This record gives sequence, C-alpha cells and structure tokens, in this order.
Amino acid sequence: MAHSIRSHLYVARRSWRASRARAAGRFAREIIRSPQSALGTAIVLFFFTLALFGAQIAPYTANDQSNPPRQPPTAAPIDRLRQVWEDPARLFDADTYLPGAYPFGTDTLGRDVFSRVILGASSIFRVAGFGTLIAVAVGTALGLATGYWGGLADEIMGRVFDALLALPALLIALVILGVIRGVETQPGTPQAMLADNAVLLVIALVYVPIVARVVRSSTLEIKQREFVQAAQIRGESAGYILFREIFPSVVPVLVVEAALRFSYGIFLVASLGFLGVAARPPSPDWGLMVNENRGGFYTLAPWALEYPAAAIALLVVGVNLMSDGIRRAVQKSG
Amino acid sequence: MSETQKMQFHHPKTRLTRRHFLKVSATGLAAALGSLAVDLPPQQAAALLARRQSGTLRVAWGGAPVALDPINASADTEIAFLNAVYDYLIDTDARSELVPRLATDWSVSEDGLSYTLTIAEGVTFHDGSALTLDDIVWTFERLRGGGPTADLFADVESVTAGEGNTVVFTLSQPNSDFLYNLTDNHAVILKANAEAIGEEFNGTGPFRLEDYRPDRATFSANAAYFDGAPPLQTLEFFYFDSVESAVNALRGGQVDAVLRMDNATFLSLSGEGFQAQEVTTSGHDLVRLRADRAPGDDERVRQAFRLATDRQAIFERLQFGFGAIGRDSPIAPFFARYYTEDTPLPDPDPEAARALLSEAGYPGGLEMTLYVPNLADRVALAQVLAAQWEAAGIRITIEPQEEAVYYADSGWLEVDLAITPWGHRPTAQTFLDLYLKSDAVWNEAHFSDEELDGLIEIAGTSLDEDERTNAYHEIQRILIERGPIIIPYFFAQFGVMAADVSGVEVHPFAGRTRFHSAAIG
Repeated sequence: MAHSIRSHLYVARRSWRASRARAAGRFAREIIRSPQSALGTAIVLFFFTLALFGAQIAPYTANDQSNPPRQPPTAAPIDRLRQVWEDPARLFDADTYLPGAYPFGTDTLGRDVFSRVILGASSIFRVAGFGTLIAVAVGTALGLATGYWGGLADEIMGRVFDALLALPALLIALVILGVIRGVETQPGTPQAMLADNAVLLVIALVYVPIVARVVRSSTLEIKQREFVQAAQIRGESAGYILFREIFPSVVPVLVVEAALRFSYGIFLVASLGFLGVAARPPSPDWGLMVNENRGGFYTLAPWALEYPAAAIALLVVGVNLMSDGIRRAVQKSG
Repeated sequence: MSETQKMQFHHPKTRLTRRHFLKVSATGLAAALGSLAVDLPPQQAAALLARRQSGTLRVAWGGAPVALDPINASADTEIAFLNAVYDYLIDTDARSELVPRLATDWSVSEDGLSYTLTIAEGVTFHDGSALTLDDIVWTFERLRGGGPTADLFADVESVTAGEGNTVVFTLSQPNSDFLYNLTDNHAVILKANAEAIGEEFNGTGPFRLEDYRPDRATFSANAAYFDGAPPLQTLEFFYFDSVESAVNALRGGQVDAVLRMDNATFLSLSGEGFQAQEVTTSGHDLVRLRADRAPGDDERVRQAFRLATDRQAIFERLQFGFGAIGRDSPIAPFFARYYTEDTPLPDPDPEAARALLSEAGYPGGLEMTLYVPNLADRVALAQVLAAQWEAAGIRITIEPQEEAVYYADSGWLEVDLAITPWGHRPTAQTFLDLYLKSDAVWNEAHFSDEELDGLIEIAGTSLDEDERTNAYHEIQRILIERGPIIIPYFFAQFGVMAADVSGVEVHPFAGRTRFHSAAIG
C-alpha cells in the first residue's frame, strides 16, 4: 500500500515537473513567435553573451592606449555595403567579412572602441540587472505585504512611494549620487562597498515604488479570489497564502513589469554615465564614452561616440521588444 | 489701384513683377560675389556681403559676461567688453612685450621705486569730457582699495600727478615687473567719481556701447578716439552657451570671428576657408603632488612621477602639436628671454621610476586619487597620465569634479594629487608668486624650498636683467631636480575669422584681443 502511494506521488511529481517544463517551453516559444520579439530576444541574448564573455572576446583591454589615435573604423557596415555594391565580386572575397584591425575605430586617446563597447556591456548588465533584481525583490515583498494586510503601514508606505514617484528618477539619482560621491570612504569598509555600488542601489531605490505599486494592486485583486479565501478558511499561515497562493498569480504581471524596469534601468544607467556620476573614467561605461567624445573630439573621431550610443539604443530597443513578447506570452498562458 | 498698377504708373516701361525683382537682385548678388572671386558656401557668402555693406564685425564667444565692474571682471568675455569701451595705460602684445596705449612713454628711477608715465594728449571720454591725471589717480586708488587687485598693487605707496602730463607711481620696494602689473586685466582707466560702474560705461575706448542684451553687445565706433577712429563702424559681441554653438554660428555665417576654442575644434575648422590664427601662450595644466606630506615629501617619489611621464606623447596626442611642450616649470618658451633648456629633462623611464619608488619605501608602487576639474581636455589628460604612470607602478583612481566643487572649500589646495588649469599670465614671475613661493596664496603643492624662495625673490625685485635671467635659469634647474610639479604642455590660443577680416591680432588672453584696427576687406 505505502509503496504504491509513494510511487503514485513520485509519478505525480515527475509529471508535475514535466508539465511545468512543457509550460515553460510554451512560454519561451510564445515570446519568440513574433518577429519583433524574436529579434529583441536575440539582441538581449547577444549583449548578455558579451557581458559574460566580454573579457575573452575583446581584442584589447579597455585602457590600452597604445594604438594609433582617431583611426576610422575598419568594419563600418555602411562602408562594407557600399564596397559590395560597387564591386559585387567582393562578396566572395574573405576580406569583406573580416573585421580588420579596429572594427569600430580608435578614439582620441588611442583606445580600441570595439573592445570598449564589448567590455562596457558587462557593467551595464551588472548594474541595471542587479538593480532591477533588487527593485523587483524588495518591491514584491512590500507590495504583497501592504496589499494583503493594508492598514496604517499601507497608508504610510503609499504616501512615501507617492513622494518618490513624484520626482523624476534621474533627479533622485543625481542628488543621491552627488552626495555619495562627496563622502570620503576608507577602502574595505561597508560604507565603501555602499559607495562603490551606489548606482546599483539607486536604480533599485527609484524602481521599488513602481514595482510595489503594481504588485500591491495585483495583490488587492487576487486576495478577493475564491482559492485565497479557501486557504484562509483552511487556516493556512499568512506566509503560505502570500507565497504559495497569491504570489504565483502575481508572477505574470511582475515578469512584464520587471522586463520593462530592466529596459528603463539600462537607459537610466547610461544617462547617469553620460552625466558623469556613475562610472569614473577610464571605465568603459557606454554613457561615459558618449560624454567623453562630444564637442571638439566628436568632429575628429565621431565613431568613438556613435558606436557606444548605438549600443545603448540597440539594447534598450531589444529589451523593449522582448518585453512585448513576454507580455503576449503571459497573456496567453494566464 | 493695386501696388503693381501703381508701380506701372511710375515706371511705365517696366513691369515690376516678383520674378523680375528676384532676377535683378540675384544678378546683383552674383555680381557682388563674383567680384570677390571667392568660393564660399552660400551662408558665408551672404554674411560676407552683409559685412562689407555695413562695416560690422560680429565676434562670437562661448560664454557670457557676468561681472562688468573692472575690479571683479576676469573672464574673457568680460575683459573683451571692457577692452572695447575703456583703455589701459599699457598693453601687452602677442609676445608679451609692453605696448603704449594711454601711456605713451615711461621711465624708471635708478632705485626702481619710482615710475613716471607720460600720458597721451587729447584723450576724451565718450561723454566728451577730457581725460585728466585725476582720473588715472582715482582709478588706481580704487584698485588699491580692495578686491582682487588690492594684493596686486599692495607695494604701490602712492599714485600722483607729476610734472606736465605725467603720472608717478611710487613703490615701497622694487618690483621688476611693475609695468606688467599696470597691464593687468582689471586696470582700465575710469572717469573719476564714476557712478554705476559695471552698468554704465563712460570710457575713453575705441568703441562706445550702444546696446547690451544677455546674448549680444553692440558697440559703435568712437570717432573721437585719441589713436584714430576705428575702421569698423560697428562691433558686435555675440554670447553663446558653448564654444560649439559659437563655432556653428561661424560656419553658418551668423558671426565673423570666434576667439578661444579647444584644439580639436580648431583642427576641425582648418580647410574650411577661414583665416586661422594660433598663438602660443603661457597657460598650462599644472599636475601637482603635495610636497609637505607622504608620499610627495620624498624627493625620490617626485622624481618617480617625473620619470614616468612622457611629455612628448601627451603633447602630440592631446595638443595635436599646438602650443609648446612643457619642462615642468611655469617659465614657458613664451618667456623667450628667461626660458632655458640647459638642465636636461630625463627621458621617460618607467622602470627607473619603479626602482625609485622601491627605494623610497614603496616597493609595491603607489595608489593615489587624481582630482581633476570635469573639463573634457583635463579628464583626457588625467587618463593619459594614469596609463603612463601605471607602467611605473603608480595606480591612479581618477576623480573628476565639477569646477564649482573642485575649487570649493579650497579642496584643490588640500588634496595630494590634482590637475589645475592655469590661464595665461604676461610674466613668469606671476606664476612663481602665485603658486610656487612658500607663502604664496595658491601654493597648491605646499612646496617650501629655501633656495627656490631666495631665487624667486631675486627674480622679482632685481633690476639687473642678467641677474634675473640667471635666477630664472636656476629656478628651472631646481624644479627639474626636485620640484613637485609636472607641466606637460602650454596651450595655444586660437582665433578663427572670415577670410576678409584684417587687423585683428589674437592675444594669448583672448579678451585682450583688440579690434580698434580691425577692418573688413
């Protein structure tokens, strides 16, 4: 008897796992069903690969100034297309496909722009990615709690979040980072760690209210449903109800919101880098690269600004397209 | 009757249609342009025509004046404004030679304590009143009385009217460069007991102010100018937010000249049909290490920094060859009489630098923060230096700060390692007095060397040219041997003008460029 019950449970769990895997597969296929979201996903995965393996792929280090300065790109796609247009025989020439010594050219200090763009991917992903992750985690916890229990805590938190949401995210970030930059820290102390990761924490801070709002309104709606009330009648603990009953129903909305936050987060990090409050030179931060190569330097080496700017734009567009696909997949499966 | 019919009535032979009008004016324009035999883009051609017809020179600046009271004015735009409506006693030219202006002649007493200047005759203010010696005396009493210039003229005991049309300055101690002090940017001659200084401008200068708006100042020529009426009829200063906007206006034909721009912009303007002037200045970026505490207090550490720096590479990569290479002393090639290359500057040698650091007790190298104002050129310099010093084991964290933050609370005077931009000054002595003397107000490096102080004193007070030259040579030697500063280059000053503008000589301090001889064509 026990044996058969256990084996029943074993089979049930295995089939449960299998059905979850099938659901995940369907979800993923739904994301890439439309060409736009497939493209978006491809772009994000491409940059993600760069972020993970950039150090191995990049031909030069980020601060290697030994190259001749202000070299034009050797692999500009427009130039290559024009060459092939003028002489179609070049399609069969191996050289057309080779990147050359400096695919994106070199900047005014003699650093390879291609390497810097690759190496910059990891810092943007790390800061925007973890910042979004923290925002989602903290925002979800707060949203679930205030949505479920309500009361005074909910009122206070609501007003605090309203205040934070009234100010533009960039402004809050600038003020906080401006203050943190002015404070001297001893290396190795907790304060120093805070200061080093200041941008990440600021990203989290400005997005927690939005995530919490979304989760809270979702929670308010879900807690009215029958299965939640059934669980309450059964006498389940609040933790069980929140995480096993309510949270799974919040996940679809949360996933879409997280993807959207990620795309805004990338843009915010790039803006802060441009304003010079995120990464310090000579770090290969894309926003910082755009800032450094403006003005007089732009007329001499425009590619040093254009390629990082294109990378920012491409990644933001990619994440947005992908999040459209996620939204559609969520609607289908929900 | 319609307009066309009216015109037909007065000119029965022609029908003045719009087509005809356009044809005629286009032909006129073409003829006018053809006569110039120049090959210009249309906007610049139109601008050229407008210039010729109106005798107006439009100069663009990448900034706007804030303080126009001579005591407080300091920026290029402010000094340029004052330079147009007022006069100085003495001017300096592009090579820092003294040039007479209101003072036509001068002499020094034997003991160096008394300077007698002869003032030009027939000088009048814009309101018609004549320039008297009282005006000059009053102006300098005002300058001595307070503000940034009080220190500059601290050694002036008295300013009095002398015999004939002369003014006598009596000093309490000899000052070899006193005449240069009289050329200071603030020392424009005002009318005695003038009111609303900085808001109303009644000067003796070659131009009088007609209209002043936030983005534009318009001046008309002063026909009664003592040195001869300016060839221009109107001079206009346009104030833009940035140098980029000013240069765009130049390309678009809205202005005729831009003074002051960075090297890269100047480089990009070449080959576009403009007249380009480049003049080397004594302005420089000062890289300084604090010498009164570790690690800079050890001479070997300072030498290590010096050995790790490749000035030639910096000069080529960042200055594009404009200006001059520095030799770690503010006595620039610009000061031809006092500049020397007698003491050899060691070639860049990161290995030797590393060895010196080891010797000084830093076998693992150094970790330092380099503070720099957040200006594109200086941040680039910081990055190049960081890369060069890395090879010597000096690991740098670059900390760019907005200018307001960098100069605030004297932060720039406190930190260990920083880059401070210094503008052009007419004499080498000025730099030594400002930041290398032990008790200098802005002694960023906190450097205190008895021998150096003694030599600075001699150079600043001796009236014997040979003694001065010798002192300056020795100063350069000391700075190369054990100084706390690195000066990789001296800037160039640029002026870009339309090809038909003449008579403008760009001054190392852009605001002191004069337009009284400027002419079109």
